[in-house]
Amino acid sequence: MTKSRYAAAMETLYVACIAVSGASLVVITLIIPYGVFMRYVVNAPASWPEPAAVLLMIVFSFVGGAAVYRANVHIAVRALVDAAGAGPRALLLRLVNGAMALTALFMLLWGLQLVRTTWHQVIAEFPVLSVGVTYLPLPLGGLLTLLFIVERVWVGEPPPTSVMYRDQAGALE
Amino acid sequence: MNALVLLGAFAVLCAIGMPVAYALGLAALVAAVWIDIPLEAVMLKMSDGTDDFSLLAIPFFVLAGAIMGEGGMAGRLIDLAKVFVGFIRGGLALVNVLAMTLLGAISGSSVADTSAIGSVMIPQMVRQGYPRVFSTNITICGSLQALLIPPSHNMVIYSVAAGGTVSVAHLLIGGVFPGLLFGLCLIGLVLWTAHTRNFPKAEPVPLARVPRIVLDAVWGLITIGIIMGGILSGVFTATESAAVACVYAFVVTVFVYRDYKLRDLPHLIHRVVKTVAMVMMLIGFSVAFGYMMAIMRIPAVMTELFLGISDNRYVFLLLVNVLLLVLGTFMDLAPMLLICTPIFMPVILKLGIDPIHFGIIMILNLGIGLITPPVGPTLFVGCAVGKVTMEEVSRELWPFYAVMCLALLIVTYFPALSLWLPSLLKF
Repeated sequence: MTKSRYAAAMETLYVACIAVSGASLVVITLIIPYGVFMRYVVNAPASWPEPAAVLLMIVFSFVGGAAVYRANVHIAVRALVDAAGAGPRALLLRLVNGAMALTALFMLLWGLQLVRTTWHQVIAEFPVLSVGVTYLPLPLGGLLTLLFIVERVWVGEPPPTSVMYRDQAGALE
Repeated sequence: MNALVLLGAFAVLCAIGMPVAYALGLAALVAAVWIDIPLEAVMLKMSDGTDDFSLLAIPFFVLAGAIMGEGGMAGRLIDLAKVFVGFIRGGLALVNVLAMTLLGAISGSSVADTSAIGSVMIPQMVRQGYPRVFSTNITICGSLQALLIPPSHNMVIYSVAAGGTVSVAHLLIGGVFPGLLFGLCLIGLVLWTAHTRNFPKAEPVPLARVPRIVLDAVWGLITIGIIMGGILSGVFTATESAAVACVYAFVVTVFVYRDYKLRDLPHLIHRVVKTVAMVMMLIGFSVAFGYMMAIMRIPAVMTELFLGISDNRYVFLLLVNVLLLVLGTFMDLAPMLLICTPIFMPVILKLGIDPIHFGIIMILNLGIGLITPPVGPTLFVGCAVGKVTMEEVSRELWPFYAVMCLALLIVTYFPALSLWLPSLLKF
């Protein structure tokens, strides 16, 4: 696979991550008021909106978190990196990439282990779903982050035309 | 030695520039390997950190604030504030502070408010003859009210960091008076500065226009009613009221104000995902980090250390305030809340300090860090919006720092300010 193909694939993957996280957010935003409506207006409380929202929130966090890594908007202390010269800065960046890869690998491997361990238990509110499903976003987030780290190390930063530079995040204090 | 591995690994990873969230996670994993704890347990904590129902309030508050902020609410609140204080000497600066109070009660984000109000108010103030640096400074300082006035998502983060032992509703309500006090302190500074520097007065808003302005703003202000009313009455949880507020904000901006187009929605969602997913990851990893801290008895050791210095709660609060003011200049509010709260919690319980009161002190204190260099997101956004350099702003921020520290001291040593309203809640 060439670098340009890999970069294009990562761009598509980024959009997919944002789409999945965004859709999760929209669905959560709709089902919680639905739960309130059923409780107070219809007087027939629905038990599923709350656990479904929590499940979607985990998807939102880990899939969206991987996309946020690619978009470079995670909070970091950059005082030392900014003060360092070109040589030491390159070394620091390599160290950070290595540490990030290690974390993502931990998430992937031990996250999968957690999914395997809990796969045969079922969620009380959704008997058709395994408890393992609730932990699946963790290794998935690890895998996605790992793919984005490979892009950063092998291909470099995404070009300025990348969709990830649009719609700048408001820093959340 | 165990604690040194955990804290040392975190400090080194942060120093080399690793994202704070992942640094927390990797430090927890390294420490788990060091003391031979199954890594699945740490993974379990990472996932559990994000599956708390009350956490859902964070994306909802951010989403509602973003919809309102970008949907024309800021301009309408500024017009409303002009009706009340625009005609006084230094009126536009007062309008700025009051609009921040009102928008803060909708958005809960100081950065969002700085951008939304600042982009309208700073050019207006400069045109009226206010110094550009002063206009920027009052904007960034005024925006900190959003951290205290409900719906502040930082209160939710503190509640999670405190292990869910502090009610989000009580925290949100507890921030009302400290937030208003903060605004009043800034108003006092504006009035004094306007008098000494002879700032201009604006023309009063013609009476005939007032009903239209009030009516326009009321649609947005109902959001405050939904959030506060829902929580205070016990009808909604904080999370439910935030979700209902999101839907309401969307309906108002798209169908009533018509300032927001449906085709812009994907961009708004993209922005909110980037903003909130970062914090959710931070929370997930910090829960794993906190779990390792608890196993290594770090909070217990820190409690003994602090009590060894002084067992007087007022001395302790003073020390913590100084410590947080220094640390807050280097790190953002959310990670500081998530890291420091589990450490301080046992000490404050031992000294008989109410966790609600302490949470509000921490948020106000670390909020000041948002406008201090070298790491100050609100300061950076304010400088960009005001088109001034950080050096120019920093040189003239000292009176503002003094006033904010005064507010911090009042909030610290008058707990009733934070605790009276929560004591009235019947749940």
